[in-house]
Amino acid sequence: MTLLVGFPTGHEDRSGLELAATFARSSGQDLALVTVVPASWPTPVAGHTDREFEDWSQERGREAVRAAEVLLAEHCPDVTATASWVAGRSAPSTLAGEAERIGASMIVVGAGHDGGYGRVVLGSTAHRLLHSSTVPMAVATRGYRASDHGKVVRATCAFRGDESSRRTLSRTAGLCHEIGAGLRIATFAVRGRTMYPPEVGTSPEDVVQDAWVAQAEQMQRAAIDELAAAGPLPEPLEHVVAAARTWAHALDALTWERDEVLVVGSSSASLMSRLFLGSNGAKIVRHSPVPVVVVP
Amino acid sequence: MTMSVRDQLTRKKPIAKVDPGGHQDPHAGPELNRTLSTFTLMMFGVGATVGTGIFFVLPESVPDAGPAVVVAFLLAGLAAGLSAVCYAEMASSIPVSGSTYSYAYHSLGELVAMVIAACVLLEYGVAAGAVAVGWSGYFNELLDKTIGFSLPDALSYSPIPVDGGTTGLVNLPAIVLVFLCTLLLIRGASESARVNNIMVVVKLSVLVLFVIIGLTAFQADRFDNFWMAGSAGITAAAGTIFFSFIGLDAVSTAGEEVKDPQRALPRALMGALAIVVTIYLLVALAGVGAQPLEEFSSDEQQDAGLSVILENITGSAWPGTILAAGAVISIFSVTLVTLYGQTRILFAMGRDRMLPDKFAEVDSRTLTPRFNTLVVGVVVSLIAGFVPSDYLWDTVSIGTLVAFSVVAIGVMVLRRTMPDLHRPFRVPLFPVIPILTVAACVYVLSGLAAITWAIFGVWLAVVLSYYFFVGRHRSRLNDETVGTGVR
Repeated sequence: MTLLVGFPTGHEDRSGLELAATFARSSGQDLALVTVVPASWPTPVAGHTDREFEDWSQERGREAVRAAEVLLAEHCPDVTATASWVAGRSAPSTLAGEAERIGASMIVVGAGHDGGYGRVVLGSTAHRLLHSSTVPMAVATRGYRASDHGKVVRATCAFRGDESSRRTLSRTAGLCHEIGAGLRIATFAVRGRTMYPPEVGTSPEDVVQDAWVAQAEQMQRAAIDELAAAGPLPEPLEHVVAAARTWAHALDALTWERDEVLVVGSSSASLMSRLFLGSNGAKIVRHSPVPVVVVP
Repeated sequence: MTMSVRDQLTRKKPIAKVDPGGHQDPHAGPELNRTLSTFTLMMFGVGATVGTGIFFVLPESVPDAGPAVVVAFLLAGLAAGLSAVCYAEMASSIPVSGSTYSYAYHSLGELVAMVIAACVLLEYGVAAGAVAVGWSGYFNELLDKTIGFSLPDALSYSPIPVDGGTTGLVNLPAIVLVFLCTLLLIRGASESARVNNIMVVVKLSVLVLFVIIGLTAFQADRFDNFWMAGSAGITAAAGTIFFSFIGLDAVSTAGEEVKDPQRALPRALMGALAIVVTIYLLVALAGVGAQPLEEFSSDEQQDAGLSVILENITGSAWPGTILAAGAVISIFSVTLVTLYGQTRILFAMGRDRMLPDKFAEVDSRTLTPRFNTLVVGVVVSLIAGFVPSDYLWDTVSIGTLVAFSVVAIGVMVLRRTMPDLHRPFRVPLFPVIPILTVAACVYVLSGLAAITWAIFGVWLAVVLSYYFFVGRHRSRLNDETVGTGVR
């Protein structure tokens, strides 16, 4: 299987490549770096300007491939990788098409550059893919650097107990077991804000949060039993409920390993088996301090 | 372990069990600890109180009490103020969050808690319905005045007749309002303190507008025969009016978070009460002084009373339109907050396993109690859609008054049974104030119609039989050694 890595031209950020290399080392898969360059206008009679544009575009593609090969040799000589370019009208749909063509198991992209370092910053390509891709998708944090010859040591699976999140968990557990990574099941209990004027005391939401924490712990234990019944469990296996007032605090309340990833399921409201990041998922992704993998 | 029925009825929820998860969130910071100023607390009180009833209560109470409705307002305000003081001691001495139900469960035992729960459910559930019905009247009025269209009677009146008034099939706007609020609550609404302050300003502004314009048409001779309704009429009106004072206890529930409860609580309570009573009295004076008494019973005033009075006085539509718009906006928030209160009380009861576990279930997607909110939404919208508000207000009052009386008695009982309990706020002039509270509540209660008592009796019987046959055996306290409650 192959991991498809979106390799943008003219970007200094190598977080996507670093992350993909970590995955490739862990799972023994190949990397396919793909650069999308602008396609020329679909015209029946290509004029001089059109050909000139096409030449320029191809040159950009070749440059990107050269740069990619240098980077691959520098960052991850231990991983089998190819670099190529394709012309397309839109980067997200061309990447998705390529992923389908080569049968990629996942699309990996780097962080956008419009946000803080160490956070998952969604660029326009990542954003589109997160709402349309048919294969799982990984986004690195801005400025992500894997440790030398790093592999994924642990995956944290965001779990909320419903049917789709149990599916996500079981797939994640299977993968973790295969690649020898640990698994942490995390449920987030974000306290709602009290409504004013407070006719029933100023903290009725604490009771709701407590109830959800208890409920979540019970669901986690049930899910672990289910996993155990289905096959071997990844080692080590932990579960945790992170309770806080905001999503940012809830994610910060957990301790994170250096080569850890966070797995988030896509929205259960989506009818098709493709990614659609839900509202809670989007909040988790936005505040995650480690790279995230979003699975359909 | 078998437990005698008497033990079951009097067992108390131990304080330590408040947080069964035992979870502490290191990042959440202190729980807004003691950060509320007296002024904010006062605004809570005003925000929670003004708007529940004053927009609808005049056409209900003036026919009962005549010009002496002013006295009825004072009487209801007095009872509400005294009750709030007792409530404050109860709330501050039981270090748990919640409503009267939670305080009673921790201090007075399971049976009393169930009685209080019955009262409080009636208070919030029916109040939400009644407020939605009132909203519907103002909404129609606003539609009529702005776009010249209003819903047909069949879709804006309930099918149950009141004194030969208009009837219809269903009160659609009220149902839609409750439905919208339910949706918001399921999505996880969080009206902030800032929105509350804006709402307070909106409510007070439109009422001040009413008072100013109303007083221009003031005629002193409208107060002739001041006592014509006699004390029975005044008491009956006070019973109805009491409804517009519910919410004042919001101040007491926030007592745990003020810096110096002994000083700040009574100040905030008295401040809120003074503002509310002043506004209400001015509205009543302006209303009664502005038009002949018979006008209050007219059909159109039943729906959007204050707005119609303004139109009659000025002869032009705009002041009434502004008032109706203000009422539509602010009553919406009152409905939302009241429904919210209702769902959270049911949630607390579900957590104690006095209700089916479903009521304490949190939805994984929205992190709100979805089932609970849906049930409340459906029940309240049925009440709002099919029962005319005349039958609702007195029912709300009776629930609140009984709950307050129980609290006042509870304060006296606790002083005797648990004299060493730490009480950050103590009722001044003990035992005069609690006794006066009970007396005032009982006096106002005595004015309520027999049918209201019947409804209340049936409801209490339903809740208590549920408790005896189901809740008592399911209670979470069955699984644990009997708590001794507050020590």
